[in-house]
Amino acid sequence: MRARAVALATLASVSIVGIGWQLGTQAIDASQNLTAATGGSAASTAATEAAAQAAATAKAAAESAAAAQTQADTANTAASAKVAADAAAAATAAADAASAANAAAVATASSPSGTFTGSVVQTQFGNMQVSVTIANGAITEVTPLQLTNRGGRSVAISNQAAPILRSEVLAAQSASVQNVSGATYTTDGYLRSLQSALDTAGF
Amino acid sequence: MSLDTRTTRSGPVPTPRTRAALPHPAYGKRMRLADSLQILCVASVAIVIAIFLADGGAARFGTPADAFTSLGIVAGLVGTDLLLVMLVLAARLPPIDRAFGHDQAMAVHQSLGKPALYLILGHAVLLITGYALAENVNVFVEVWNMFTSLPDMPLAFLGLALMIGVVVTSLLVVRRKFRYEAWHAVHLLAYLSVLVAIPHQLSVGGLLSEGAIARYYWLALYAAVAAAIVVFRFVLPVVRSLRHQLRVDSIEQVAPGVVSISLVGRRLDLLGASSGQFFIWRFWSAGLWWQAHPFSLSAAPNGRSLRITVRGLGDASAELPRVPRGTRVSFEGPYGLFTESARTSPRVVLIAAGIGVAPIRSLLETVSFAPGTATVLLRSHSLGDTYLVDELTDLCWVRGAELRIIAGERPTGVNTWLPADASRAGITLSKIVPDLLYSDIYICGPRPWTDAVVRDARAGGVPKKQIHYERFDW
Repeated sequence: MRARAVALATLASVSIVGIGWQLGTQAIDASQNLTAATGGSAASTAATEAAAQAAATAKAAAESAAAAQTQADTANTAASAKVAADAAAAATAAADAASAANAAAVATASSPSGTFTGSVVQTQFGNMQVSVTIANGAITEVTPLQLTNRGGRSVAISNQAAPILRSEVLAAQSASVQNVSGATYTTDGYLRSLQSALDTAGF
Repeated sequence: MSLDTRTTRSGPVPTPRTRAALPHPAYGKRMRLADSLQILCVASVAIVIAIFLADGGAARFGTPADAFTSLGIVAGLVGTDLLLVMLVLAARLPPIDRAFGHDQAMAVHQSLGKPALYLILGHAVLLITGYALAENVNVFVEVWNMFTSLPDMPLAFLGLALMIGVVVTSLLVVRRKFRYEAWHAVHLLAYLSVLVAIPHQLSVGGLLSEGAIARYYWLALYAAVAAAIVVFRFVLPVVRSLRHQLRVDSIEQVAPGVVSISLVGRRLDLLGASSGQFFIWRFWSAGLWWQAHPFSLSAAPNGRSLRITVRGLGDASAELPRVPRGTRVSFEGPYGLFTESARTSPRVVLIAAGIGVAPIRSLLETVSFAPGTATVLLRSHSLGDTYLVDELTDLCWVRGAELRIIAGERPTGVNTWLPADASRAGITLSKIVPDLLYSDIYICGPRPWTDAVVRDARAGGVPKKQIHYERFDW
């Protein structure tokens, strides 16, 4: 190769790899923002639910819950970390109110029942979504609606991990279960979707 | 007495000593083409790495399992890209032949073989390790899992096995043990090995999964390479053979076992062949049709006929002197940059050993030089086994070139292209040829001998771009 060919080839390669790197960084940032946004909206959903309950049972809590809801709505539209943090704070406030309300309500209100669908969680290997069936205050079934499916390996992993996660969840009766080794993305997506379904159910 | 026997310094014009090494007009254009092709080749590697990074690959090095997996993916991408480059180099594309010549293209093809194999092997080993780490099983269980739970993996492992076979049979030591036809049959399995590996690339990984831009890039790349191979290796030779209807016109005995075969056909001017180029010939007569042989033109093509000079070597080409007149001949070519197009300098040195004289003879006919600025060196074991000497003597006389015949056995154990006594006396190319540094040197002979001449010329300070060679073993 002539010196000029080496120089041009180096320049071209560095630019091409640089563009790839830049696109990759954006993709990684986007997926992290997505995680933050999903977390934020989950918190705000929880806040909304809690606020609604609180408003129904205790007049005193209604004012603070309304304030929390305003803030939570803001969190729904903006995805910045700061707003998410605000929302989390609001959620805590609302949850405090709600726990007070729940304590009063638990004796009379019946436990949630039915099938609840979780939100769609995007991962690098595809979307995850599960639904949960609750009967008499117990998780009786978790059904995967979408599993990570980007490539045959990803399909193989999620097919292997889903039954393990299901039995762990049924045993633990919550979304706080151990990561399935070799299926980090599947586990993460599965449990996040499950949690959102449990939140909807008010479980 | 072996060095320098006959000298025909001749020509009616006195010897002008052209000192200034004028850049040949064709050189700049050819080198720009060569530069572009090389840049394209390097960029293709950069593109596949960029594709991996654009998918967010840089973030997947956090755990040992992820790091092994990511490295394995990159190794597979780069290795496959190199395989495609190798296929393109062997596809006899006209631009590649124009820029580098067949010999150099095949040398690069050969030098990429091992790196490509190592990358593909690395791809397999790294991914098996990475997956095994992630799933917390040993590698044997992981290989079993791959076979049973991943799509298209048996085919991928078959491709890997074929590739190992192809590369191993091409190692020089192993290759010498095979007949050309046997080796070539195994070598063609390379196409199959690339082909059967495609499904797992599209179905197993996420990178080339449905909907990804990278998937379409790779599919386009495969389609383009396949089209190039089909068109330039198969369709074009068949079309040309049918169009030009070559037949054996006459056979002339040059020496025992050596013949000049003259071929005639229709509109041979359309071939665009030049002196010094070779074709891969197939003579459609009993006992010969199943072999194809590369032979260089031994006379300048004139639009009506082509002439080759052939020495029967062991195999069926020993039958060539007896091939009947009128035998149909199919061909692939013309190929090679052992021509005027490779020129960079005003003076010319033509060096041949044995039957390597054939392209030298045709070059001498048409290569451009002022009388007195060209030297022809013929190397042989003895004066008796030089070929086409009468024709060369006449041409040298007409064109004003100097002819030297250097006869004598090469010494054993010394890496030289000269006879034993010349080598002992410290004779080198620059002592034999005046103004070597201002010359284009064309060398044709057996591989080790050619390499020795090239080394001598380089030691004499001749830049690479002025040295042109065609090595006539496979």
